[in-house]
Amino acid sequence: MTKDHFDLSRRSFLDRVLAATAGAGVAAAAPWASAAAQGAAAAPAAGPRVRLGVIGTGDRGRALIRNIQKSRNCTVAAICDTYAGNLDKARAIAGASVPAFADHRAMLDARGLDAIVIATPLNLHAAHAKAGLDAGLHVWCEKAMARTIKDCGAMVTDARKAGKILQIGHQRMFHPTYLNALKRAKAGEIGTITQVRASWHRNNSWRRKVPADATDRQINWRLYREASAGLMTELATHQLQVGNWFLDAVPTKVIGSGSICFWKDGREVYDHVALVYEYSGGRKVIYTSLLNNARYGCEEQIQGSTGTIEPELGRIYQEVPPKQLALQRMQQDIRKGSKRTVPIGGATWFPELPVTTPGESLGWGEYDETMLQFEGFGEAVRAGRPLPGLLAQAYHASVASLLGEAAMDKGEAMTWPTDLVAVREG
Amino acid sequence: MTRARIERFAAMGTRVELHAFDGATPAALADARRAVEAVDDALTIHRPSPLVALNEALLAGREAAVTDAILLDALDAAAAAHVATFGLFDVAADRRTGGNWTMVRFDRAGGTVAASRPLALDFGGLGKGLALDRAGAVLRDAGVTSALLSAGESSILAFGPHPLGGGWPFAIPHPIDADATLLEIELRDQSLSISATVGVGTDAPERAALLRPGEPAAIAPPACAVAIAESGAAAEALSTALVVADPARAARLLRDRRDTRFRFDLAHQESRVA
Repeated sequence: MTKDHFDLSRRSFLDRVLAATAGAGVAAAAPWASAAAQGAAAAPAAGPRVRLGVIGTGDRGRALIRNIQKSRNCTVAAICDTYAGNLDKARAIAGASVPAFADHRAMLDARGLDAIVIATPLNLHAAHAKAGLDAGLHVWCEKAMARTIKDCGAMVTDARKAGKILQIGHQRMFHPTYLNALKRAKAGEIGTITQVRASWHRNNSWRRKVPADATDRQINWRLYREASAGLMTELATHQLQVGNWFLDAVPTKVIGSGSICFWKDGREVYDHVALVYEYSGGRKVIYTSLLNNARYGCEEQIQGSTGTIEPELGRIYQEVPPKQLALQRMQQDIRKGSKRTVPIGGATWFPELPVTTPGESLGWGEYDETMLQFEGFGEAVRAGRPLPGLLAQAYHASVASLLGEAAMDKGEAMTWPTDLVAVREG
Repeated sequence: MTRARIERFAAMGTRVELHAFDGATPAALADARRAVEAVDDALTIHRPSPLVALNEALLAGREAAVTDAILLDALDAAAAAHVATFGLFDVAADRRTGGNWTMVRFDRAGGTVAASRPLALDFGGLGKGLALDRAGAVLRDAGVTSALLSAGESSILAFGPHPLGGGWPFAIPHPIDADATLLEIELRDQSLSISATVGVGTDAPERAALLRPGEPAAIAPPACAVAIAESGAAAEALSTALVVADPARAARLLRDRRDTRFRFDLAHQESRVA
């Protein structure tokens, strides 16, 4: 990509975000995106770049490094991983001049950072965040926040006490298609939203190949309960955030069933999860994730009384009006004193198959929204003010995912915790 | 404006609607509904019924005595339809048994039915036509002078004038092309039946395949037939016969009946009124 093309597509991306977040309803529902895009569009390159130390340089960490490199106000100033293989790959991306560490404490002690980026196994997030905050640094952390609800709250509290920014990675919150979807939902285009049906279905083992110099738990930490809640924290968190976002609420309770149903390979986390999250007024998020059938893939079906939005497909659909039977129309005509030819011979039985109308495009973003996350984070660090509303969304999404895990483990309904930490932002 | 009374209910495996205008009372509508349900009770093959009892005997190779008046009338109608359609409408045609109506011995006077080989009868659309005929008779006897009766919108019986005067205007939509119309027609004291191998509703649960008697496979080419007759039973038999007919017999059925019998070969997406 040439610089001109990069600038053009970046500008186009920001324009889309700004257009999608224009208007009071969306600005209130996605204030972080509006703030990030305005900041990025205004003077993203002004002042020194925010220096980031990336802890965890596995697949996701390296993807983050690439996105940081695209941003105009952040730079990768250090990298860290306990596994040399990952660190070598990250060094090849970040450049040999970027200091590399095998221990995050050494990286923090070396100074020269404004913030850390955490892309480590989930059970390490809270400790790494605390270490960064204690070192006087701001923190950007991959979702989910932490392995336990208590640790999620502790991260929020630690950041507040330290007076530092804590931002969690939820890229859908910056995606133009999602923001446009929200704008159209807020405008009433799909009526009253009563249900979000979300799924993330894959057909693979979710197991990474383990190099000779690493352990399975080191590489496949997502499959072990000590480090991860599996599908709930690594995948569902994203979609539960979308559910909360579009329903503009947090759940009141959750029921669910989880099982290791197909991949009986020694993993400890479920490979099938099915949950129902209840919201006020009887609204629901119905969530499933599994690892042996990919037909329905990843999607959130946001279902309103007059339409449906499927943001992953980038489409909005209007409800198809029910077919009027010919003789009903004849009666209406007669009452009006009108005699019209009656189209007869149609079916009086209509199969209630899925509606396959093509719908309308919500627009696509050819740009990576993760870049905007970092530009927003960079501006937040510079200003000393978090992107408004973002942390509460992320916190509640993480709590929802972990509460779902508890509901499945216990086989009973779990009510939304009443002792969550209050998130004060902005 | 004449007040309309409408009775809608499920029977005969479809949605039945009785629209009565001049002279209709709730009691008349209720009686007409019971007439339809009585035919359903007599001719259904999906639950115990006089027809099921008859079929059990015929499949077991036994002669059966039939006492149910509706079933006897239906057998009469089936025999007449078989003749009138050159054997194309056949309530005994069944791929599983290999049966056909020529194997059936029906003694109306003696009230017995027997068959030369095990077989079963299925009155299909003829039952809907008979039901509408009987319901129409009930309404007429009750003094109703204008009514439209429908069984699944593919079987229509209209008597008396339209409430706004004149006949009852209908259009037969193209079963594949929603924007096209095959035929426009007006009914006056007539019944209309539509049979098609394609279109919405042809894949409804439990809808029997259309068979050409003596041939092993269901009729597959896309086609639609429309028949207008004085009775619902006759219209049903004719539309079924037209849609399953081979070209020669279709031509015989259509000869000199250009205003009341229609067959549309939809294989080439050309609406052809024979």
